[in-house]
Amino acid sequence: MRALVVFAHPCSESFSAALHKQVLTTLEKSGWDVDDCDLNAEGFSPVLTEEERRNYHEEAINIEPVRPYVERLQKADGLFFVYPVWNFGYPAILKGFFDRVFLPGVSFDIVDGKVRGKLDNIKTLAAVTTYGGTRVRAFLAGDPPRKCMTRPVRFVVNRAAQTKYLALYDMNRASDQKRASFLNRVDNEIGALR
Amino acid sequence: MKALVVYCHPHGNSFNAGILKSVQDTLTASGADIKTLDLYADGFQPGLSEGEFTSYLNPHIDCPLLTRYIEAVKWCDALFFVYPTWWYGVPAVLKGWLDRVLIPGVAFHMPDGGDIQPGLTHIKSLGVFTTCGASRKLTWLVGAPGKRTLLRGIRLICHPNCKTVFAAHYSMDDSTPDSRSRHIETVKAKLARFVKSRISKPALTENA
Repeated sequence: MRALVVFAHPCSESFSAALHKQVLTTLEKSGWDVDDCDLNAEGFSPVLTEEERRNYHEEAINIEPVRPYVERLQKADGLFFVYPVWNFGYPAILKGFFDRVFLPGVSFDIVDGKVRGKLDNIKTLAAVTTYGGTRVRAFLAGDPPRKCMTRPVRFVVNRAAQTKYLALYDMNRASDQKRASFLNRVDNEIGALR
Repeated sequence: MKALVVYCHPHGNSFNAGILKSVQDTLTASGADIKTLDLYADGFQPGLSEGEFTSYLNPHIDCPLLTRYIEAVKWCDALFFVYPTWWYGVPAVLKGWLDRVLIPGVAFHMPDGGDIQPGLTHIKSLGVFTTCGASRKLTWLVGAPGKRTLLRGIRLICHPNCKTVFAAHYSMDDSTPDSRSRHIETVKAKLARFVKSRISKPALTENA
């Protein structure tokens, strides 16, 4: 079983980095073959260019600028995202990963005007994230990052995929104990995924 | 009204460029002062760097483009966004604008031990004009995350009486010249009505 772990935080001393490390350790412990994709460390550019926009629907060529990422995505059985929520959305570098890599012909097809998911290889989908705001605040805003992950991304992976969305809210005021228990929860819940 | 229009699309002859023009024309006709930020044309890099994250709570801005963007945010009392919706959200370049420009001290405050406090209380009007590949129904099912990031998330840190305006052309891939020109008219009409309702309330402008 191959896991693609997409990580989106620039700093190695951040709590997100600790979550990233925990996810890697847990997955390896439970027998996954892990492909670690640290977007900042790999220098991924999130900017969808003018040329990419023009060729967006040209399935023969649209993957060229991001081919290695597409191949890693297509080889994976499990897809794991680790990122902080900033301003009620993904960090730009992760938003750019969806804009540029989740292309027509890769993650979805449009058949008779209807979108059909194409990432049948992904049978496990999980997101591990932190919010600066409280859960109430996120709820009032409609919690866009949760919806993005559990609806459109969920929609394009395998129909039977198991899905986990693990979030620590009110991160700025979280005690050491609260953070430690979240790491523990991540270990348990990610460890239970196959 | 001092209107800041944030525009995000990679090419100049797109339908979004047409929407931008009608937004600018309508604002001008309503007597607003306008500044436009064209993020792609400026070559804005959306990634928040390690240095920016480390100094996030006490930002030290030494990038002239960021300084210009922050000054524009402080100047305006109305903020409008024009962009295509990709993956049910704002394009990465616009998301990066939120991450790098709407920082503590500019957009909100984080008092020790307290909850986040709004910092954009000078902004009393907020608008989103977008295009969606998905249909209206599918966007609704997904929960319109892009619209919500801006009209609810950013709205929370604006003036408590901040009002919003929104228009989207859905199912862009099935659009026709007719549907697009009808949408341009909708944008103009909605925005003109919105601006009129905002500037006819002197109590609000006097608070500025």
